[in-house]
Amino acid sequence: MLAYAARRIPSALVVLFLASIAIFAVLRLTPGSPAVVLAGPDADPATIASITHELGLDLPLPEQYAIWLRGIVTGHMGQSYILGAPIATLIGRGLSNTAELTVAAVGLAIVIALVVGIVGATTGSRVLKTLVVTFTTVSFAVPTFISGVVLVLIFAVGLHVLPPGGHASFGSGPLTALRFLILPAVCLALPAAAVLARFLQTSLQHVLDEEYIRVARAKGLPWRQILVRHALPNAFPGVVTVLGIQFGQLLGGAVIVEAIFAWPGLGQLILQSFVSRDYLLVQDLVLLSVTVFIVMQTLTDLAHAALDPRLRLER
Amino acid sequence: MRLGAVFVALIVLAGIVAPLIARQDPLFQTAGASLLPLSAAHPLGTDDLGRDLLSRVLYGIRVDVIVSVIGVPISAVIGTLLGLAGPSSRYTDIAIQRGFDVILAFPILILGIAIASVTNAGLPAIVATVVIANVPIFGRLARTAFLQQRERDYVVAAEAIGAGTGRILFRHILPNSVDPLIVQLALSLATAVFVEGGMSFVGVGIRVPAPSLGNILNESLPYLASNPNFALGPMVVFAMLVLGLNLIADGLNARLSRR
Amino acid sequence: MMNRSTSGVRTTRAQMISLLGGAAVAGFVAPGTALAAPKRGGVVHMAQVADVIPSGLFGQNFPNTAVGGLIYNTLTAYDHRTLEPKPQLAKAWHVAPDGLSVTLDLRTDVKFHSGRPFTSADVIFCIKNIQDPARGSQLRSTAAVIGDASAAGPAQVKLRLEHPVSNLFDLFEIMFIVDRETLPDMLSGKNLIGTGAFTWKQWNPGDSLTLARNPNYWKPGRPYLDGVELRVIPQTQALLAALQAGQIEIALGLAPKDVAALRSNKSFQTLVSDTHGASFYVGCNVEVKPLDKPQVRQAISYAIDRERILKEVFSGLGVATSTPWPASSPAYDKGEAARYHYDPERAKALLKAAGAEKFETTLALNSGLGPGSPMAQIVQFNLQQVGITTTTASFDAAQFIKKLAGGTLPGLWVNVHGFGQLHPATLVTSAFPFAAAKNASNFQDPAYVAAVNRAWTATNERDQRAAYRQITEILLQNEFVIDCVLTSPSYVNVPALRDYTYNMFDYLNFEDASLG
Repeated sequence: MLAYAARRIPSALVVLFLASIAIFAVLRLTPGSPAVVLAGPDADPATIASITHELGLDLPLPEQYAIWLRGIVTGHMGQSYILGAPIATLIGRGLSNTAELTVAAVGLAIVIALVVGIVGATTGSRVLKTLVVTFTTVSFAVPTFISGVVLVLIFAVGLHVLPPGGHASFGSGPLTALRFLILPAVCLALPAAAVLARFLQTSLQHVLDEEYIRVARAKGLPWRQILVRHALPNAFPGVVTVLGIQFGQLLGGAVIVEAIFAWPGLGQLILQSFVSRDYLLVQDLVLLSVTVFIVMQTLTDLAHAALDPRLRLER
Repeated sequence: MRLGAVFVALIVLAGIVAPLIARQDPLFQTAGASLLPLSAAHPLGTDDLGRDLLSRVLYGIRVDVIVSVIGVPISAVIGTLLGLAGPSSRYTDIAIQRGFDVILAFPILILGIAIASVTNAGLPAIVATVVIANVPIFGRLARTAFLQQRERDYVVAAEAIGAGTGRILFRHILPNSVDPLIVQLALSLATAVFVEGGMSFVGVGIRVPAPSLGNILNESLPYLASNPNFALGPMVVFAMLVLGLNLIADGLNARLSRR
Repeated sequence: MMNRSTSGVRTTRAQMISLLGGAAVAGFVAPGTALAAPKRGGVVHMAQVADVIPSGLFGQNFPNTAVGGLIYNTLTAYDHRTLEPKPQLAKAWHVAPDGLSVTLDLRTDVKFHSGRPFTSADVIFCIKNIQDPARGSQLRSTAAVIGDASAAGPAQVKLRLEHPVSNLFDLFEIMFIVDRETLPDMLSGKNLIGTGAFTWKQWNPGDSLTLARNPNYWKPGRPYLDGVELRVIPQTQALLAALQAGQIEIALGLAPKDVAALRSNKSFQTLVSDTHGASFYVGCNVEVKPLDKPQVRQAISYAIDRERILKEVFSGLGVATSTPWPASSPAYDKGEAARYHYDPERAKALLKAAGAEKFETTLALNSGLGPGSPMAQIVQFNLQQVGITTTTASFDAAQFIKKLAGGTLPGLWVNVHGFGQLHPATLVTSAFPFAAAKNASNFQDPAYVAAVNRAWTATNERDQRAAYRQITEILLQNEFVIDCVLTSPSYVNVPALRDYTYNMFDYLNFEDASLG
């Protein structure tokens, strides 16, 4: 297993390298620059030129690229052009906040999906089946920017039980931190839960139709045992793939959720820094995002291969 | 499934005949008539600039239908081909998988903004984003299904008989791998509308004043508490579309697995 | 009651009543409170949608106005009604009759937060600093007029000017006096050291900024508050919700419709600043045909329904106008401000006379500017009614500003400009849409350049007013900047927060504020 993972490293590095060139190029191709943003709405060309020079943005592109990469490799990532704070600090803070939110959302999504998916696949009741479909459809269909605002309206402005946005670290008390975490985590989790539930339900339904399950039932094995030891493990591989994809979508969905709930995470950071052309910060964030994703995918593939030997390409 | 088909057909039809049934030009602003509630003259009320919401929603459907109907099938075809091509050799598999990783790792909004900045905002940018964002999704699903099917008895049997790779691929494996792809198709069609809405959220989607479901939803946000009818139209239409597509997907799934 | 001058002198009730008669003060007046003693202590929590940008404190941009005035002082501060400078760190000044030299007498009892005394050397440093183009100050051209700044002792600065100017004190209104020894720390956001009522305590970028009371502030007994915390809440809905949920005491930059809705809510006070510094306008690139014809631009100006924009986009919080000058400006004239009223028939006639009855052009907008989109859509609709078809082009802020600065916006655009609220010369020399030498509209006119110069260098009031008349007439004839609505920042706060003020550049000031 470890060898499998280790074999992925060279190709992962290649991907990172390609991604770094891609984001560097895209940013430079996009009109506008941090100098323009810093100069402000009343900017005149002389000010913009002067700030451009001060930021070193008039150096030849390959040189700027090299400076950037050197910074990452040596750990001196420099300052954000726009926000003025050290990039390492900004990313560190954003990362821990987004991780907090994403982990909570994934956990919630898995729990919800398990419940809803299993109920949907195994129940005979029409009412329950309709409820399941309604839940998954609504959770998926309503965009996070609507569900977020509705949640805030109900729980924060209407009932006054939860804060409308913001963040509290666990240092100021776990209960307080949870109060700020609940709404954005639910908002982020719902669409993923819906997708996972559907796939699990479909997958499970398929598996339950298979010969060997029917044989097991005919043999008289208890239902729960069949479910947990035979059906679910065989339903998982497809779902795990979807989970991997959903995790990526979750990171992307975090951008909107973080904006609505004023959650100081990476999603918000990357959006704002792209819009303000904060070159170094965006580049570092994108590389980070790609790295996280590669790690997740490797883990997913590992889990996948462990669960279903047919999927191991390398024998 | 029939219900789902009905929903989707109704909505698409409404979009197609919009010019006939819309009472007003969706761009026509009546000064002083902003944010009116539901009425006979304006069945969905008016928006903040005094435009009839029903007309805007009807025309908005067209935009989203175009984005989905063009973008998703293209991405499905490209993605599936790439996903099936992968396992043919270790090198291509790794290359394609990593390529997918890079795309999936980019938050979709950033992808959208980047594409729109380079190509200029509007419909082409949205379609391009939908295609690029969905290719890896279809690709991975196709690959997984393919790998699962490859070991099955009927494939081994076909190989034993001496059937060629292409024949095995298209006549045996593909039809049996297609179920998750179909479900994903339905889901991606719905996600395409999201992409459009999300890109409008940050200002690189359909250009104002043209209506689209995402645009109208975004314009309605500041008025959610005071004028909920503003958001009503696009939300209901959107939910019906997604519900309908889901039901279709379910129905297809059931039919196919009975084979 | 709100203090509106920043000189520390409370206005009398008679003055207050006459002030209330004026436009745009939306506040709730409790007659008895002026006499109650302010309560000491407490931390004010305020929130706005964007975080401060420490490196941008010398350029005059929105996110910093909330805290700049808390950490720093300026040399002088204007009376809002008369635009007469009142002492701050400069306690007296003398302008030579020929206008070529200025002497500033500085306070001697002021210390920076680091403990170091404030002296003339700091003033000289700040002037040189703001002359540096890399600092991005829009008043750089005004600062450039100062040819030489020298210290005559630790408490006096002598300035020698290249030529007389009418707007030197605009520079002193805007220029923060920063600690000359720690500039790099300021630019990097590590530590901002000033002389103001509050000190820089802790900054979590993108999240919150905490300021603490300056115990050695030079105004005795001030500030009353223990501290101020600025929170960043990037979405106006969440900002409003935070205020309503009691998480913050004052919200900055709420959407006009929310501010208007809260006016009738007794739990909050709403205050719309009287500076009217932000003017929303339609710009024209005069190099794009047929926008090169002044008649066409005048027609566009008549075609725009300003009152409707004021009502539907700004919920009535602002003033419809044809000129960039608010009522407090020496260049203001009521008749001229109302010159372009809504008259589509006249617009059509003008277009016909110019031979441009139906044409197509682009209407660009900055997607980062909230009111820009609805305003552009109304303008587009108005223009459609008189035969002008426009395609909207939405650019994000960085792209838009780049095109604006390069004069390459391909037709018409909607944007906002500032500086009309200070001395008129500042607008036409510093605000890029108006700059006589080179502007976003590519408008060139020797008469305009001459008039601008006259306004800038005139030393007596009579010459100044004549020059302002001329400038306004040229602007109105040429309409390369079509001003539509003058707006101001708004503040919504709980009634417990009292006596905060702002200067003519909308720098917030909490030195007299109290929570109680």
